[in-house]
Amino acid sequence: MILQLLINGFVTGFIYVLICLGFAAIYKLIKAFHFAHGVVYALGAYLGYTFFILLSINPLISFFLSIALAALLGIAVDRFVYYPLRKHKASNLVFLIASFGVFIFIQNLIQLIFGAQILTLRTGPIREGHHILGAVITDTQILIIISSLVLFLLTWLLIQKTKLGKAIRAVADDPVGARVAGINSEKIITAVFAIGSALAGAAGILISLETNIEPTMGFSAILKGIIASIIGGIGSIPGALFGGLFLGLAENLGIWQIQAGWKDAIAFVILILFLLFRPSGIMGVKTEKEKL
Amino acid sequence: MTMLQVQNLRKEFDGIKAVDDISFTIDENSIVALVGSNGSGKTTAFNLISGFMKPDEGKIFLAGKDITFLNPFRIARLGIGRTFQNIRLFPQISILDNVMLGLSYETGERFSAALLQTKRMKREEADNVKKAEELLDFVGLSEKRDSPAENLSHGQRKLLELARILALEPKIFLLDEPIAGLFPEAKRTMLGLIQALKKKGRTILFIEHDLNSVMDAAEKIIVLNYGKKIAEGTPQEIGQNKEVLKVYLGKESL
Amino acid sequence: MEYLIHILIIAGIYTILSLSLNLIVGYTGLAALGHIAFACIGAYTSSLLALNFGISPWMGLIVGAILASILGAIVAYPSLRLKGDYLALATFGLGVIVYSIAKNWVSLTRGPMGLPGIPSFSIFGYQISNAWSYLILVLLFVFLTYIVIKNITNSPFGRILKGIREDEIASLAMGKNVNKHKLIVFIVGAFFAGIAGSLYAHYISFIDPSSFTVMESITVLLMVVFGGMASLKGSFVGAFLLVILPELLRFLGMPSSVAAPLRQMIYGLLLVILMIWRPQGLMGKYKFK
Repeated sequence: MILQLLINGFVTGFIYVLICLGFAAIYKLIKAFHFAHGVVYALGAYLGYTFFILLSINPLISFFLSIALAALLGIAVDRFVYYPLRKHKASNLVFLIASFGVFIFIQNLIQLIFGAQILTLRTGPIREGHHILGAVITDTQILIIISSLVLFLLTWLLIQKTKLGKAIRAVADDPVGARVAGINSEKIITAVFAIGSALAGAAGILISLETNIEPTMGFSAILKGIIASIIGGIGSIPGALFGGLFLGLAENLGIWQIQAGWKDAIAFVILILFLLFRPSGIMGVKTEKEKL
Repeated sequence: MTMLQVQNLRKEFDGIKAVDDISFTIDENSIVALVGSNGSGKTTAFNLISGFMKPDEGKIFLAGKDITFLNPFRIARLGIGRTFQNIRLFPQISILDNVMLGLSYETGERFSAALLQTKRMKREEADNVKKAEELLDFVGLSEKRDSPAENLSHGQRKLLELARILALEPKIFLLDEPIAGLFPEAKRTMLGLIQALKKKGRTILFIEHDLNSVMDAAEKIIVLNYGKKIAEGTPQEIGQNKEVLKVYLGKESL
Repeated sequence: MEYLIHILIIAGIYTILSLSLNLIVGYTGLAALGHIAFACIGAYTSSLLALNFGISPWMGLIVGAILASILGAIVAYPSLRLKGDYLALATFGLGVIVYSIAKNWVSLTRGPMGLPGIPSFSIFGYQISNAWSYLILVLLFVFLTYIVIKNITNSPFGRILKGIREDEIASLAMGKNVNKHKLIVFIVGAFFAGIAGSLYAHYISFIDPSSFTVMESITVLLMVVFGGMASLKGSFVGAFLLVILPELLRFLGMPSSVAAPLRQMIYGLLLVILMIWRPQGLMGKYKFK
């Protein structure tokens, strides 16, 4: 029984990790909450549906097309909404409200185009999973876990081992110094939006192999992403891993005690407690305190 | 009479001793300069005195009263009027309103007075408008009375900050770098205003990083370095102090 | 004609919401994103008291407003410790929590099934069920709200609120008890939002959680920002225009499956446009920061 919940917990957890990774990386660079990240996730799912189900394109190609377009959406949001705000030196709050605006706009655009009904990426009959020690794990779940792990590792490698990754870390830690060293911070920001949004899009597709696709799926997702980031420590990659898995496991292990309807509320209670008492999270960077 | 007394203040951040066992007193109706390079602890000392930070150790007394752990707004009400290094004004509201916010009301500022729009409130408001206009006159900003504070030049902002502090009628002025970033003529104006305040019986403690500028302006100078007080005395005494010369030699000559 | 009266009543109720939120966001600069939660409390309190205990809607209105202001005091607490976007997230979260309670505490609120048959107000035995008379009732409350908030803001107390919005630390340095002021504006703002909730409940005679989602909170925020920060007239304009908008869409003959998301898209777009190009809204003197 516990093993089953653990399996479910890891599946959910890894999806959260992918969302959280992009969100946290973007936060680290622009120091603002990219709430619209949730809708990039949703778009990934809908694009996957469009290419794979509606247009019957090969699944792997559908996947890559979808995440590429998701990346484009992320870049577009930054270019058309956040970049002007950065020029105006807008406060974090203004970023957040604008981000809400983008979220609302795109979520409803999706609903306008695809309708409000539930869609799915699943094709064919539901296959029975593999039995391990009294628990069941389906092929889909295995796929999700492995894909997520691969994507996480690829991202980690990119950040730690490549030249681009070094530049990203430089701009994140010391924007002025990076500029002096000749790094174009706007290009780096664009790159991070591309990567983060691709991850979100991927998360959207992967989760849709297991659950339903609906226009409001982005809301719950970004909510979890934010909470996982704050628990794990916003702006930290290991923090994203920890926060995402922690949240996924906590949700599933506690599920028999809490009714499903309360999940969002519980998540927000946790968020508010962290915001009030431990905003730097478990592993994260200290948030900037107001200078006197 | 001792206006301000600081005893053995200590404050540490991330392992760095920003303020390391600092003690000094400020007498009533004196002009004292707190001098030191960046990072020497001057602004931290101000923050501790005005209540925006709490010391790890030590005590602070204002006219004999222990204010060490009071809320900053209470400390302001008890008589400490401070300015900020990067000038904190209320940018989008008028200059007049900026000054009005420093003036005191007996009951006019209360929620009930606002709700019921009492005659008392309206009378106090009218009186305070007059007082605010006088203060703006004193610093030479009357013409800009209704402009939003964000439209002022740097020098004008410094003057507005001063006017606002005057409105508070504090027992002691804590001015954080009052002449920083000003052209020589504006500097003279500001220093002239500070002297005028002293003539009116006020007490002034101000921060300055350039030792030269304060030699004529201050009666007493306290020199900080890396959180410690390394000298305290008249400008003459400071000018001959070996420690001070050691720190400042190579940076500037006296 | 009846339709027009209906629109005016709804616009009036939203005006109370936007005026009360303007006090918190526009004048005092607190990023309160869960305002509709207060209306939710007001609505459910008033309805449940009337349905379960036969208590007069007038009494229910007052009790609802008081309970809403208690929640307001609770919400004030995070505002003392959190700033800007962090506060926005926290208040957003509180909005979600109240909505979840309304939806899931089925034994109390009947959850998604809602509360039907809510009685209307009555004076001296006469039920206010006719549209015109309800409009007059709502307009009276709008007027009351306007006068109260106008008085509060047009005073030394109001000036302190603006000071807090512009710079909290400078306000403290000027001897202002910032925390006390934040608490007061949340209590007052929540009180009137609670009134709006009750007015809504007793008018429509049916409420369910779907009227009190976070989207609704964002809509009210949009009304404030669009109309103009710290502009009371702007709150009227913002509320009115944003209530008219969906009706116009319906007028153009669009089916609701198109009109509903389209309306939200316009709201979203408006938020982005306001933040980038006109943070002071239509009639505001201060920019949203």
